[in-house]
Amino acid sequence: MAELTTTKLNAESHLLLDQPLLRMPYELSRRNFKNAQRYLEREPSTLVTSLQTLTRSSATSTSSDAEDTLSTLDAMLAKMQTLKRKLEGLHEEEVKIHASAAARISHLQDLYNVQSLVDVKYDEWSRTRLSRLLVDYLLRSGYSASAAALAQEKGIEELVDVDAFVACQRVQRSLREGRRTGEGLMWCSEHKQGLKKVGSQLEFELRFQQYIELVRQGHEGGEKGVGGNGKLVEARLHAKRYLSGNGDMELMGKAAGLLAYRPWDPVEPYASLYADSRWDHLASLFLSTHHTLYSLPPRPLLHIALSAGLSALKTPSCHSQYTSSSANASSSTTAVCPICSTELNELARNVPYAHHTKSIVENDPVVLPNGRVYGRERLQTFNDKIGTEKGWVRDPVDGVNGESWKESEVRKVFIM
Amino acid sequence: MDDLKEQIEQLQAENNLSKSIHDVQKTIDLLTAARAKIARDPQMAPVTLAKLQAPVQKSIEAANNDLKKVHKGLGAYGKALDKKFKDKPLPAAENDALSSHPQLINRAIAMHLLREGQFSVASTFIEEANAHPPQPEPTPGTPNPYQQDSEWEKDLASGTFNSKELQHQFADMYHILHELRQQRNLAPAIQWARERTEKLEARGSNLEFELCRLQFVCYFVGRDEEGMMMEDSAHGPLRAWAYARSEFGPFQARYGREVQQLMGAMAFWENVDDSPYRRYFYNDSAWEEVATSFTREFCSLLGLSADSPLYIAATAGAIALPTLLKLQNIMKEKRTEWTTQNELPVEIPLPPSYHFHSIFVCPVSKEQSTDQNPPMMMPCGHVIAQESLEKLSKGGRFKCPYCPGESHQRDAKKVFL
Repeated sequence: MAELTTTKLNAESHLLLDQPLLRMPYELSRRNFKNAQRYLEREPSTLVTSLQTLTRSSATSTSSDAEDTLSTLDAMLAKMQTLKRKLEGLHEEEVKIHASAAARISHLQDLYNVQSLVDVKYDEWSRTRLSRLLVDYLLRSGYSASAAALAQEKGIEELVDVDAFVACQRVQRSLREGRRTGEGLMWCSEHKQGLKKVGSQLEFELRFQQYIELVRQGHEGGEKGVGGNGKLVEARLHAKRYLSGNGDMELMGKAAGLLAYRPWDPVEPYASLYADSRWDHLASLFLSTHHTLYSLPPRPLLHIALSAGLSALKTPSCHSQYTSSSANASSSTTAVCPICSTELNELARNVPYAHHTKSIVENDPVVLPNGRVYGRERLQTFNDKIGTEKGWVRDPVDGVNGESWKESEVRKVFIM
Repeated sequence: MDDLKEQIEQLQAENNLSKSIHDVQKTIDLLTAARAKIARDPQMAPVTLAKLQAPVQKSIEAANNDLKKVHKGLGAYGKALDKKFKDKPLPAAENDALSSHPQLINRAIAMHLLREGQFSVASTFIEEANAHPPQPEPTPGTPNPYQQDSEWEKDLASGTFNSKELQHQFADMYHILHELRQQRNLAPAIQWARERTEKLEARGSNLEFELCRLQFVCYFVGRDEEGMMMEDSAHGPLRAWAYARSEFGPFQARYGREVQQLMGAMAFWENVDDSPYRRYFYNDSAWEEVATSFTREFCSLLGLSADSPLYIAATAGAIALPTLLKLQNIMKEKRTEWTTQNELPVEIPLPPSYHFHSIFVCPVSKEQSTDQNPPMMMPCGHVIAQESLEKLSKGGRFKCPYCPGESHQRDAKKVFL
């Protein structure tokens, strides 16, 4: 039989929500490294070859070319300086990423030093986690300013990835609202290898959208009689260059069909290819690709934590039409249940309630003539506090102005 | 965890780009030196250049070799990460009932920020959320989330969510709490309680009296209204007495005993320390207790729980996740699904402080009571669920499953837990 309650904390299994916390800086530092590698592969090798040609040419030429030699050397120097600047930029980034990774590891490490769920330290840790989850949620919803403000106020900048998400949101908005493919394609070229690895269709889809837009302009231009055909030719070239390698002949057939059907022709499947909703599709595709590439879960972590938490806490009483005797806002002897509190009540309506195999009631339960059940001690405390006359009791839910009964009318009740 | 820490320290200390930068700088130095030499002596250019070849090539190779180390270090770190999270998949999005109600989540967050006293963050958030309202997505529980009919969602969607009012309330609360905790100034709290005497009394709260009693104690031990120590300590008890005379009148009826005790302490004004009344006067936790009970009353009067529900729910969620994950794995293995949509299939152990409502599980049917199937008490005092009662009695007289008592279905009485 499972335990009904527990205060034991198993840090190892408790860290389910926190994997992305470490994955993100890892992916970032890998990307950073790849960039450095690219720079270091390209620049120095050209330097070596140009140095070789320079040596050869200077060996055969006369001294009058000294000026040329010097200027070539200057050009090389300038190139190396830029390389160094770029590397330094990457190194700065690297230091930042490593520092945040170290901070995250030590934040998680803190949990291993806590043994109990009722420890004050766990409370603190959990509050930091909530702030993290909130920032994550805000960033995903595109509320970057709030996210940055919250991270700053809580002092957890190192534990959240504001910059990475801001960049992600910029691309997402450029697709959804700006209807531009430029930023998206740039992102694709920056992440070429990762995209290839997961077999992403994002770049193809973006190129396809470019093609659609060219065809659209061609048709619209043709209607107005201004250079429509030029655009259509351009579209064909674009398709030849970027799309033909795809191999999906059916899709290619559709793409070719676009040349014949105009955006305002109500013919499927062309109408839906022309539709504005394709941009939303592209934006969502970008988001999901981005999240897979950076090992981020598709949904905000807050959703995951909250769905589980709401269910674990919810009881049938939370949405009951009767006031619960054990947790309500009407007397000072009970705490308000978080699910009954305004913030979460509506939200919890759609989640399943917690499963219990045993009743949980206060010690020594008694029942009032109106059917309400209380622990004897709490009933007594409440009546002392509101100053009910001796030998009489009042119902805590009705308060000081409610009906009162003789103490002899209070009956013991047996709840198994 | 230690493994990860080690790896990252290694990356920070050694395996990073700084070495490559150093080598690139070396190349630059070589080139600069060669350039200077050629500028000085153009005749020697071919020789200088020829001599330059090897060192430049070498330093560039070195720069690339440094990268290999970085690559290796990163790889080791990645492996350590994989090992750490081997059996822990990223949390899946199944059972997500929340995506269809982003407005409600936003409201919960706004209220959370307000109640935590982060007013500037909250107002930034509300502004941003109103400028870019979130897109609801359909979930199994709510296949069509686009028709909103709840009042709150409409409020928030149309930007009329009354955050100003709530913010005002919580700003008040934080002001009073700040005065209480930091300044040891009771006046704002007493005023707040006095304005709500009736409501507080009906709830059975003695907050007002506790505040006044603490004020009395303050005077007695020689603090003035601002919490500063008074110069003449003998003056204290006199001021306390005057305070009691003017303020304790209304408390006489309900707190007569407590007031008498305080008055009795007057007799010991010179050596309260050794008197039986010591605990009233030298109680350091009294301030914190009063502050906590103030917070609770304040939130309860707004119909809110004292601790942030978002915090409690997220924490409970984190505690519940390992169990739910295990369940998910088992269900995947056995290819079964939940039989009841509205109840979780497993029990989730939570610390006792996360139990708020009493729970009634019928001892006969093992089902939790609901509005449709409420707990019923038989004349003998035992309680079973209504459906079980109906099954047992079949409309006639029946024996209680727990004692020899016999009763009729119509004698059973609905109880509220």
